[in-house]
Amino acid sequence: MLKKYKPFLRAGAIDTMAYRFNILMWAGITVCEVACMIFLWLAVYRSSTGGMDAEIHGFTFREMIAYVVLTTVFGFVTFNNDTLWNINTDIKKGTVGNYLIKPISYRGKFAATSLGNLLTMTLMFGVPMYTAALVTLGCMGFLPGLTFPAFFAHLGLFLIAGLCASLLNDTIAYIFGVLCFYTSAGWGLNSLKTTIISFLSGTLLPLAFFPAGLREIVKWMPFAGMSQNPVLILMMKYDLAESLRCIALSATWIVVLELFAKILFSHAVRKVTVHGG
Amino acid sequence: MIEVNNLTKVFRKPIRGNGLSGMVKTLFSRKYEEVRAVDGISFTIPDGEIVGYIGANGAGKSTTIKMMCGILTPTSGSIRIDGVEPYRKRRQVAQHIGVVFGQKTQLWWDIPLIESFKVLKEIYQISDADYEERMAFLGEVLDITRFLSQPVRTLSLGERMRADLAASMIHNPRILFLDEPTIGMDVLVKEKIRLAIHELNKVYGTTVVLTTHDMTDIEDLCSRIILLEKGSILYDGPLVNLKNRFGNIKTLTLTVPTDVHAETAPVLLPEVAISEEDGRLVLRFDADKVALEQVVQYAFRDLKAIDMKIAEISIGDVVKTILEQQEAEHAEKV
Repeated sequence: MLKKYKPFLRAGAIDTMAYRFNILMWAGITVCEVACMIFLWLAVYRSSTGGMDAEIHGFTFREMIAYVVLTTVFGFVTFNNDTLWNINTDIKKGTVGNYLIKPISYRGKFAATSLGNLLTMTLMFGVPMYTAALVTLGCMGFLPGLTFPAFFAHLGLFLIAGLCASLLNDTIAYIFGVLCFYTSAGWGLNSLKTTIISFLSGTLLPLAFFPAGLREIVKWMPFAGMSQNPVLILMMKYDLAESLRCIALSATWIVVLELFAKILFSHAVRKVTVHGG
Repeated sequence: MIEVNNLTKVFRKPIRGNGLSGMVKTLFSRKYEEVRAVDGISFTIPDGEIVGYIGANGAGKSTTIKMMCGILTPTSGSIRIDGVEPYRKRRQVAQHIGVVFGQKTQLWWDIPLIESFKVLKEIYQISDADYEERMAFLGEVLDITRFLSQPVRTLSLGERMRADLAASMIHNPRILFLDEPTIGMDVLVKEKIRLAIHELNKVYGTTVVLTTHDMTDIEDLCSRIILLEKGSILYDGPLVNLKNRFGNIKTLTLTVPTDVHAETAPVLLPEVAISEEDGRLVLRFDADKVALEQVVQYAFRDLKAIDMKIAEISIGDVVKTILEQQEAEHAEKV
C-alpha cells in the first residue's frame, strides 16, 4: 500500500534539489539571524550579575551559543515544508479535486512529499552543516557536555527525534492547511503556525527561561519535541532516559495529531465546493 | 453499475452587498442564498452503456459528475458506484473510475508526459504487463506516442486533452466520467476522441458518462441521453425517442429559380411549412404524416427546384426546442 506514495517521496526529494539555490539564499539570511542572536545573548550574559561566567537557567554562555547555532541548523534542515501552502493552493485553484479522484490519501501524499524533502535536506545540507557546526563548536569548547563514545548513541537518538520533529511539523502544517478549507486565509494561518511553533518549541528561547507554570504545560505539549529536545539530545544535555522519554512523547503526539487530522479532514472535505467547469 | 437515487446538492452562497458599505455590512450579518444545483434526480446506468449527460450551462451536470466521482458530498439522496458510495469510500471507488474535466488538466504541468503516466502507474498499482498493454492501446487510439517526452505545459490544447484522456484510462477503469472532453477541440481531434471512447467501450466494456455541448458527440457515441435543466431531469431515454419527440421531422432545402418565393409558391398541404432562407426555400414536415416522395415530386414539379438537400432534424434542434419551451414556461410562471 505504501508503494503508492513512492512517486510523491521522489517528487519531494527532487523538488528540494531543484530549489537548492533558493535554499542557499535562505541559508545566507539564517546566518545573519544567528549573528544577531549571538550579540543579543552576549549582551544578556554581560549584564547579568555573574557576568560572562554566569549560568542562567542551566545554560552557560557557551552552551547558549551552541544551542542557538544548533537549533537554527535544525530548523533549517527539518522545517523546509510546503504542506500548508500547497493545500492552500490546491483549494484556491480547485486542484484538490485532482487528488480526491485518485485512490490515495491526501494526508499520505503530503507526508511522503515532506519525507522526500527531509531526505534531500538532511543529505545535502544537514550532513555538512551539522558536521561543521559540531566540529567548530566542539573545538572552541562550546560543547562541554559531549563525551565519547556515548555521543554516538545520542546522535542516533537525535536522528530519530529529528524524524519525529519533521513529522510533527508536517502534521501540524497539514492541520492548519486543512483549516484553509473553512477560511481560505492561508497566509494568516501560516503566520499563526510559524509563530506558535517558534515560540513554544524553544527555538526563540529555551523553555527553561519560561515561567514555571507555563514551562510545566509546554513540557507536555508537542512543540518542545520539534526543536529544543532534539538539540538538547544532541548536545548531551539530556541523559539517555530523558532522551527516550522525549522521543516517546513526540511519537505519542504524532499519533494523536494524525488522528485529529484524519477526523478534521473527513469533515472539511464535505465543505469542498468546486464550482464551474 | 451506477445508481443515483433522489440526489440533491444545495450550495450556500453568502449574499454580499455592493460597494464598501455593503462589504462592511456583510462582515457583521451574513445572509445566505441557497442554490439547488441538483434537485432530486434519480437514474440507473448499467455496465457498458455510454450515456450523454446534457443540458445548458449551470444545469447541474458537472455538480452531478463531481458527486459521482467523490469530490463533492451530496446534500441528500445517494449515489452507488457498483454498490459503494463514492463520498464515503472515496479511495475504494477512485481505484475503479477515471475522470476527465475538460477545463482542467490532471497531469503534472512541468514534467514530461511519460513521467505523469509512470506516477499514475504507481498510484493505481498497475502491473508492468497491464501498463505496457494499456500504453500501446492508448498510444494508438489517441495518438499520443509522439509527444510523450514533452513537458505537459508545451503541449497544444488538443494534445493535452488526448493526454488527459489517456491518463484517465490508464488503470482500466470500469467507469469513465468525461466532463466536456471535446471542449475547444478542432474537428480532427474531436473525431479522434470519439473514436477512442468508442474503442474503449467496445474493447473493455467501459461504462461512459459524458457531458458535452457538442451534439455530434452525442449522436456519434451515446445510445442514451439524460437531459438536465435547472437541476432536474427533463428527459431520460434512448436518443431515437428524443429525436422523434416532435415527430419524424425532415427539412428539404431547395435551390430554386429567382422568381419562386415562399409567399407566392403553390401550397401542397398545410402540414408542409414553407419558409425562405438566403434565397432558398426550406420545407419542413413530419415524414410519418406526409410521404417524402410526394414532397419531393412537389418540389421539382411545382417549385421548379434545381437542387435539393434532405436533412433530418438534428438532436441539437430538439434540445434547443425543449430548452426554449422550458424557458418560456418558466417565464410565464414568473
